[in-house]
Amino acid sequence: MLEIINLNFMKKGFLAIGVSLLVVISVGFWLFNSSVSLKSVDLLQLLIIVLLIGFGVFFGIKRLRSAKRGEPVEDELSKKQLQKASSISYYFSLYWWVFLLYIKDKVVLDTEELIGMGVIGMGVLLVLSWIILRFKGIRNE
Amino acid sequence: MNNRIKEYRVKFNLTQDELAKMVNVRRETIVFLEKNKYNPSLKLAYEIAKVFNTTIEDVFIFE
Repeated sequence: MLEIINLNFMKKGFLAIGVSLLVVISVGFWLFNSSVSLKSVDLLQLLIIVLLIGFGVFFGIKRLRSAKRGEPVEDELSKKQLQKASSISYYFSLYWWVFLLYIKDKVVLDTEELIGMGVIGMGVLLVLSWIILRFKGIRNE
Repeated sequence: MNNRIKEYRVKFNLTQDELAKMVNVRRETIVFLEKNKYNPSLKLAYEIAKVFNTTIEDVFIFE
């Protein structure tokens, strides 16, 4: 039973890694082939996207390693870590959106840029919350 | 909440990996438990106590 579940998780892990790599390759091709000159803000956004994708790949590889070792790829601790990280990042992302709405009138920003910054910020907050929880642990709940 | 998992694990001559497989969790969870960075569910606490042939209150110390 555990092997079947692990096999499904392994497939998901491979899929996540495959999709992430496809995104990276596509972005790479687009960058090299496009004649559009990138601003430093665009490059910063791109760097953050690459870091987020890197985190996704790391997560996928971690799952695959667990599956290969014959241990469950998800257990109560990993689920709790993800749930808690999601709830913390959701809470802080509300303030992030409020901040973006506040600066929208002060700085010239396209709608696409604003939404992009919001989504990327949410991703960064999720990753940061997860990393902090990994170091801090989850106690007295 | 403190626990005596490491003490019992050494007594039973088990590695973290072996204990993790016996209670069906990841090794990382055992690491977190031994470092007191995580309070387990009642089910996991029961499973761990069962491996060591003892009671939950003997392994987990409520303060």
